[in-house]
Amino acid sequence: MKLYPVKLLTITCEILAQKNIMEILTKNKITGYTTYEVNGNGARGVRGQGLQNEKNVKIEIILREEKLQDIVEEVSRTLFANFAIVLYVSDVGVLRTEKF
Amino acid sequence: MEILQLIQSNLLTPIVLFFLFGIIAARIKSDLKIPEAISEFLPIYLLAAIGLHGGLEMRNTGFENMLIPMLVAIGLSLLFTLNHYQILKRLGKFNIFDSYALASTYGAVGAVTFSVGLSFLKTQGVTSEGYLAAVLAVLEPVAFIMAIFLTNMAISKQIRIKKQSFTNDSKSDIDVGIDETKTKLSKILKESITGKAIVILLGSIVIGYIIGEDGFSSIRIVFDEMFTGAIVIFMIEMGIIAGQRLDDIKKVGVFLTAFAIVMPTFNGIIGVVVATLMGLSLGGSVMFGLLLASASFIAAPAVLRNAIPQANPSLYITSALGITFPYNIIVLLPIMFAISSLLHDPEGSIDLFNYGLKDLI
Repeated sequence: MKLYPVKLLTITCEILAQKNIMEILTKNKITGYTTYEVNGNGARGVRGQGLQNEKNVKIEIILREEKLQDIVEEVSRTLFANFAIVLYVSDVGVLRTEKF
Repeated sequence: MEILQLIQSNLLTPIVLFFLFGIIAARIKSDLKIPEAISEFLPIYLLAAIGLHGGLEMRNTGFENMLIPMLVAIGLSLLFTLNHYQILKRLGKFNIFDSYALASTYGAVGAVTFSVGLSFLKTQGVTSEGYLAAVLAVLEPVAFIMAIFLTNMAISKQIRIKKQSFTNDSKSDIDVGIDETKTKLSKILKESITGKAIVILLGSIVIGYIIGEDGFSSIRIVFDEMFTGAIVIFMIEMGIIAGQRLDDIKKVGVFLTAFAIVMPTFNGIIGVVVATLMGLSLGGSVMFGLLLASASFIAAPAVLRNAIPQANPSLYITSALGITFPYNIIVLLPIMFAISSLLHDPEGSIDLFNYGLKDLI
């Protein structure tokens, strides 16, 4: 089995910031992602209780390293200051590299 | 006094009792909670019921006399938003973002508060003008759009001043900034008009108008008889959320707490008086006052978090949901009802009108 190295970008943020992230992804021609609604606790307190709008969302994007830089730069520039958000990058291996 | 009696009897209605029960459940850290799907469904249901009733009433009473109250409501809402901003910025020393976010939260309308008002009037055996549902729909985006516009103007002004101190030919950058503001505004306008609250409300008004009493009789059991019951279930959820936020009220501060009580009272009473002068009925004047008194806590975060992300959301959600909403449904609603009854007293001449006001304020 041959695995090709790509990057996994994981962003956990306020559900109301999801739209902004999606716009950034579209701008960088990324079409594939997975989202799920999550709860948690962090610098901005417990999130996910009560109102739907105060939930968090976790977005996973598998992408090639070339595109990573721009996306991470734009997310951190536009969203870090005002939203509850965490972002990290990990190395993953995929079978079908042409999909990403 | 009559007002105290009204407040007292209002306290013992199922809506208020279940709200208080929800707060207690949250305080004792019970795991009681309304399933997510239901708490998302209920606002839609409430708006549909409000819209259907509005449509039905409009069919009976016509909507040609709706224009003036609607324009007055928009004017007052804008005026109040500006007024809130000045108070928050100058007296409250809030920063520009928090000031605008809070100002528009309190300038906007609360659909849940509106439903509670309708149910309150039903208990009192009073009707209100159906077109107020349409006013609710129109009023929903108004305050936000103005606040967002003014915030963006203020930001580009700041940028311009900064730019000018560096260099003189930065005109293109400013133009880009203004263009960005324009696209942002039109996007927000489009999003709020196509947002679920306005869509379901307007859709139900149209359907209610088309079907009339005959068509409505087949769905009456769901949209009329179950209305108050559905609010009660939603009130448990609201109580729980408000209860979870009680600790945050300390962070809100004394000034904002006072603002969250004084401002709705002021706006609401002006609303009742203006509506009476425009010739609205007893119930209609109460609902008009309630429209202006209520603060938005479901729509506000969704709009403001994207449009004015710099503002602290816990300020406007906590004050609107934790302070103003309970105050409005428990205390202010009976007060406005008493004022409206006084103003609509059949013996009430202009003299009584003035006397009554002096007595109450």
